[in-house]
Amino acid sequence: MRSEGLKIIAAKEFNDHLRSRKFHLIFGIILVVAIIGLIAGAVDYQQEIADYNDDQSTVSGDDPVMPGSWQKPSILSAFSEMATLMTSVGVILGIAMGFDLITREKESKSLKLLLSHPIYRDEVINGKALGGVAAIALSIGIVLVISFAVLLIFGIVPNLEETVRILLFGVLSFLLIFSFFAIALFISAVAKDSGSAIIYTLIIMIVLSSLLPIFAEGSVYTAIFGDSPDPPEDGIRMIGRADPGAAGADTAASSGRSTWNQEVSEEWQEYQEASQAYWQQRQAVGNVIGLLSPTENYETLVSAVTTANTYAVRMAPGSRTVATPAATADDAAEGGLSALSGLLGDLAKNIAALIITPALFFGLAWVRFMREDVR
Amino acid sequence: MIRCEHLTKIYAGVPAVDDLNLEIPAGEIFGLLGPNGAGKSTTILMLIGLIQPTSGTCSIDGVEVSTHPIEVKKNIGYMPEDVGFYANMTARENLEYSAKLYGMDATARGKRVADLLSLVGLDGVEKEVGGYSKGMRQRLGLAKALINEPRIVILDEPTANLDPRGVADYRRIVREVADAGATVLVSSHILSEVSRVCTTVGILARGKLVAHGSLDRLVHEGGGGQVTIRVETKHPMPEISHPAIVSSEYSEGRTTARIVADTDIRDLIADTVGSAGIRGLEREYPGIEDIFLSYYREEECA
Repeated sequence: MRSEGLKIIAAKEFNDHLRSRKFHLIFGIILVVAIIGLIAGAVDYQQEIADYNDDQSTVSGDDPVMPGSWQKPSILSAFSEMATLMTSVGVILGIAMGFDLITREKESKSLKLLLSHPIYRDEVINGKALGGVAAIALSIGIVLVISFAVLLIFGIVPNLEETVRILLFGVLSFLLIFSFFAIALFISAVAKDSGSAIIYTLIIMIVLSSLLPIFAEGSVYTAIFGDSPDPPEDGIRMIGRADPGAAGADTAASSGRSTWNQEVSEEWQEYQEASQAYWQQRQAVGNVIGLLSPTENYETLVSAVTTANTYAVRMAPGSRTVATPAATADDAAEGGLSALSGLLGDLAKNIAALIITPALFFGLAWVRFMREDVR
Repeated sequence: MIRCEHLTKIYAGVPAVDDLNLEIPAGEIFGLLGPNGAGKSTTILMLIGLIQPTSGTCSIDGVEVSTHPIEVKKNIGYMPEDVGFYANMTARENLEYSAKLYGMDATARGKRVADLLSLVGLDGVEKEVGGYSKGMRQRLGLAKALINEPRIVILDEPTANLDPRGVADYRRIVREVADAGATVLVSSHILSEVSRVCTTVGILARGKLVAHGSLDRLVHEGGGGQVTIRVETKHPMPEISHPAIVSSEYSEGRTTARIVADTDIRDLIADTVGSAGIRGLEREYPGIEDIFLSYYREEECA
């Protein structure tokens, strides 16, 4: 019976989402923009492919000149642009689906009636979450199916690697929307009414999507922690004069030159250490702050997943991966799925953060709902 | 049977329900009376497990609510005050959803829903509940409370929004349910309504049960122990004086009097006004409103 109640509530919530006008409106916008974007992307892709083929035909197979300069165009760039849609309208979809799930029940007095049934409270909150998850998954599924359909209409058949990357894009988009759905659900559990819930949720969205990334980028960090240490005056010149063949103060010190030279070298060494510590600290703080933002994590991951011809273009917070263009188009193809899996391994922190965020907020919503007196 | 033992609920240091001891036998229609804020709804919410008591226990048919809420809820039908349904669903869909949550199979569900919609006069109404009047929602609430054929029916202010026909239907349905063996708990501040359907009442004031028993007993014991006597004579009557008299009102040329006394002094009155030709000498029993107010005043004074 415990799972029966969960299934019944989840099914009802799922149907409610699909029948909701706000869902129709926002999902409709996503679909229309996605389709238009994909059509534009497909047209561009066809042009790029034509240019690429022309370029290939003008270079002979043993031409030594810049073999890696002709990277085969990828349709994935269209999905990369779709990420912007997901971080704006997709996020709003998640919020719209979750912000009044509990408050609406309280306002309509139906929560009291619902909880008078022989069901456990966790079935109610879990059912609501499950119904939302199913609706989000269905939405993403529809977007992906239509995306593939648009590509096929334009005669573009993604290869296995591209297909996997597109599916990963779908999974990441699902996690992003679910993150904001879970945040909205949590706010709905703590807010007194739907009006307050939407305001609080939007504030959190702005903090996570806009303010945290600004902080992580460093401008706010600089304002709070100050600028990086200034180098000592003439430090480089003095070391250079002391020993043109050496770059460090140790070399200068061991050579037994004047005390004056020794002091300058120590200053420079101290500067180097302080500077290194400053930037390491800044990088660490930036990485941690970046991980707190679902939008930032999503953009990082989607950028990596939808950039097919390079193993990584963006230096992700905490990532060891450096921008490394593939040697040739063939190399990129051969790199394929194994390169992708390596890349995702490097971005494990971002993936974990994108999973932990909704789990954390759902957990908070769950605890709040379970402990609440229904009056 | 419903039983509450030392049931207490405290919100922010203020007791909403204070050491409530109550027993309602099976098959009874019990009226829980009290003004707004007396603790009626809080008591009911503890009975159906939506609120955890601060202390004390309540049980339904011997099963404690706080430890076995699901088992208890299976046997309870509940209609809250300001009953709320899903506005985007029809009455049938709302009841179907409720029936599913009680674990009823599709066949039983369909029949039960149809029967109940007919019982409360909502059969054939296919619009969404969002377009219902308060009275229609109240009717639907009654149907929902009966969907699981409960042994205990708890109705919180059930006639608040009903029109006269709805009230008549409600009374009929409640009696039928009780006749079928269910215990019915009706919470209300509409005293006349309670007196029409309930066999036993309890009066709550400031979270405490200040009176409990059959309506007849409360009527006899009500009125603060004072006796009201109505006298009618053919001719103007003389002044009636006695130390037990609290107040007296004469009217219609002193042919009618209403005497309130600490004891029943009808014999004394008969002797005093006998010469004026007694047409009537009756003791007036207080109405349920008076009973309620007297108990409530007592509690306030305490």
